[in-house]
Amino acid sequence: MESVISCQHLTHYYGKRKIYEDLSFEVPQGRILGLLGKNGTGKTTTINILSGYLKPRSGVCRIFGSDIQQMDPLLRRRIGLLIEGHVQYQFMNIEQIERFYAQFYPGQWRKDAYYELMAKLKVAPKQKISRMSCGQRSQVALGLILAQNPDLLVLDDFSIGLDPGYRRLFVDYLREFVKAENKTVFLTSHIIQDMERLVDDCIIMDYGSILTQQPLQQILDTFHRFTCTVPEGYELHLSDAGLYHPAVIRNHFEVYSFLPADEVRQRLLKAGFPLQGELSSENLSLEDAFIGLTGKY
Amino acid sequence: MYYKEWIKTRWYLLLMFLATSGFAGYCLLRLHRVALIKGMGHMWEIMLTHDVVFVDYLKFVPLVAGLLLAFVQFVPEMYHKCLKLTLHLPVSHLKVVTQMLSFGVIAILACDVLNFVILWSYLHEVMAYELWSRCLLTALPWYMAGLAAYLLASWTILEPNWRRRVFNLLVSLLVIKIYFICDAPASYNSFLPVLLVFTLALLILNWISIARFKEGKE
Amino acid sequence: MRKIADFFLYFILLILAAWQIPWVINFIRTPDTSQVYFAIYSAAADDFICNQFDENRKLQRVGTDGRVYSEAEADSLLPCFFMRQLVADGRFPDSIQGVAVTPHGVQQTNLTIRLNPRDINGNLIELYPLMESMPKRVDLEMPDDVFRITSEGIEFIAVETNQIKEQKSRMFTEALQAKGFRFPALWVSGNPSTRKNYDEGYLLLDSNHRLFNLKRCAGRPFVHEFAIPEGITLTHAFAIEPNARQFRGLATDTGNRLYVLTTDYRLVLTGVESFQPTTDRILIIGNMFDWTVAVTDDYAIHHYALDASDYHLIRRLDRTFEEAADLPGLHFTSADDKFCYPRF
Repeated sequence: MESVISCQHLTHYYGKRKIYEDLSFEVPQGRILGLLGKNGTGKTTTINILSGYLKPRSGVCRIFGSDIQQMDPLLRRRIGLLIEGHVQYQFMNIEQIERFYAQFYPGQWRKDAYYELMAKLKVAPKQKISRMSCGQRSQVALGLILAQNPDLLVLDDFSIGLDPGYRRLFVDYLREFVKAENKTVFLTSHIIQDMERLVDDCIIMDYGSILTQQPLQQILDTFHRFTCTVPEGYELHLSDAGLYHPAVIRNHFEVYSFLPADEVRQRLLKAGFPLQGELSSENLSLEDAFIGLTGKY
Repeated sequence: MYYKEWIKTRWYLLLMFLATSGFAGYCLLRLHRVALIKGMGHMWEIMLTHDVVFVDYLKFVPLVAGLLLAFVQFVPEMYHKCLKLTLHLPVSHLKVVTQMLSFGVIAILACDVLNFVILWSYLHEVMAYELWSRCLLTALPWYMAGLAAYLLASWTILEPNWRRRVFNLLVSLLVIKIYFICDAPASYNSFLPVLLVFTLALLILNWISIARFKEGKE
Repeated sequence: MRKIADFFLYFILLILAAWQIPWVINFIRTPDTSQVYFAIYSAAADDFICNQFDENRKLQRVGTDGRVYSEAEADSLLPCFFMRQLVADGRFPDSIQGVAVTPHGVQQTNLTIRLNPRDINGNLIELYPLMESMPKRVDLEMPDDVFRITSEGIEFIAVETNQIKEQKSRMFTEALQAKGFRFPALWVSGNPSTRKNYDEGYLLLDSNHRLFNLKRCAGRPFVHEFAIPEGITLTHAFAIEPNARQFRGLATDTGNRLYVLTTDYRLVLTGVESFQPTTDRILIIGNMFDWTVAVTDDYAIHHYALDASDYHLIRRLDRTFEEAADLPGLHFTSADDKFCYPRF
């Protein structure tokens, strides 16, 4: 499948602080990819590089095969951008902002899609965006992206500042639009439940690197939490790349892994783990999986 | 692009046109009042013997007007990084920034022309060419300073890094000083063409800010 | 594009540095008072008495031979210059150089003339009020019009109405033309002020470098040409109205020679070697016997003692300035003119 986004060997530092080194990933066409990571792992950095507002120290990012830093301006017609906090021009009202953007997207602008969404908002056509709630603003921003009808959507933390109702509205509208039109989406969010409803693929980032890039369903199907009891006072000495964040709390042991239960069992025994009784395995939500992969701290 | 700038600044532009014209009108009114009491001959005499130009009140008016326009136009762009939206438009960045600034430049020039027409329409009635041209030529560098202040302020506001912004501010202050070094009326005359080219060229400094914004320099 | 913008920023920084850095350095350096210097000729001592600061920054009066004079001695050596002090002390002499004098007579013939290049290097307003030289009342009055000189003639503009006075303009144009004046004027000089004792109108240099005096007498034009010897091309003329009416003004020619314009419309060459009005400052302190002329250029101050009767050179004192004290840099203004433009 053709890649819409292709980032190769990205390295970036803020001053002397390394954000990541030699990071590569691809986003295939027609997929919704969510970027997950704890604060400070470089989510915003990645979004900024992708939207062209940060020049990485090295490496190259291509969108539709074109280097972002030297992109033909017309190619930006095919990219919709939602910046953090659903920011839009504060000084315009609903009609003005639509009129303003429409002139830049001749032949692709879908005024109806915008006004269809605006009709659901209880705001006066002349009300300025600066006087709207964050939820209302998110709808305006979404409406503008829907009207622009881009092939690729880059969304920076779309859930920030939204109450659950608006979040749900946003996610549902977006998913419907993207699936119907076979669009590609690259997004971040700090609320993982939203991602679960929306994304096809996940990239989970840790400090300085990518932990995993997989289809969401694959993570949900294969990543499990294994628990058992251990003798009181047991001190944990376990280091195995396939076993994520083993931890003991009193006599309760837990570990996360993509491996099947038998394999986990084998590996634990081989490492001299005092396995007593059953090793129980649980399916996880994305949020639990995320915590399992990245750790609580 | 002009549409956006217009929506953003229209109320301020109205204020700018009214206020600067008001100041110009006030200068003339003062002149007129004194002339009513002491006679126009007195005004000519003090112009000739004391080299007074009667437009001193306007000295910093264009400067303030230009500064405020830069604020009104570019602070909302930097608010929550709104500029990202502008630069994401499918237009070359060079064109985007040039259009935004040319809007401001045209607005300021239009305002300046209006001011000069107001001044000229009264002064040329009551004064010889040598005198009214002197008044206007004396005011010209002040009006250029307004344009320079606008372009330099936008350069400073659009700059993404705070430390660099302070540096820009210092450079701007010194550049602005050039327009106010010499108090003698009409002393800039021979320098005006070069100064005008220099003033308009200040626009290209904004390319640096935009390029730095694009590179994510913070 | 970024390169052009960066280049332009560097260019601006270079300009600002070349302008501000020398300025700051010059500003914080202590001024050098040894350069402050002023001399005046004393006929009694047949020498210049120099006012200068000693090491303790105290003012001293010193002869060129190094002799230091006390204050009282200096007063006596320069009786015209310190006339008021001598009168106050009761030491004013009955005669000076064998000529009977009164304080009033000295005061009337004393004169101070200052010409600064800054006064002529500027965008001057080429409009001039022509006062009545023979007013009915004692006091001079400003006229209700001003004149300009165009390539066709002289135009009077009424100040109240801003209209050209056609008839008066024609009358004066014809009067000038009748005396051979060729329009336009290269140079116009007058002292349009009511705070003077009398009015002698304007000195006009016509386009053939001939010098004329234009006055308004009882409302009618009065034009008189100066007799300029062959081979002299005047460049500037300065109308001066001294209290005692000893002369009409000063003039310079293309060779930077300085002339006195006499009351009978002649030129008298002075003993001043060189005076270029657009670059040099001149200070003349004169009395009925002699003039001290101080010409300051970029490199030196030249003092000339001239005889007041025929302006021949009596004595001369030159003092060159020490190495230019100020750090060179970019300037926009200059003490010598009223222009603003960048220069080094």
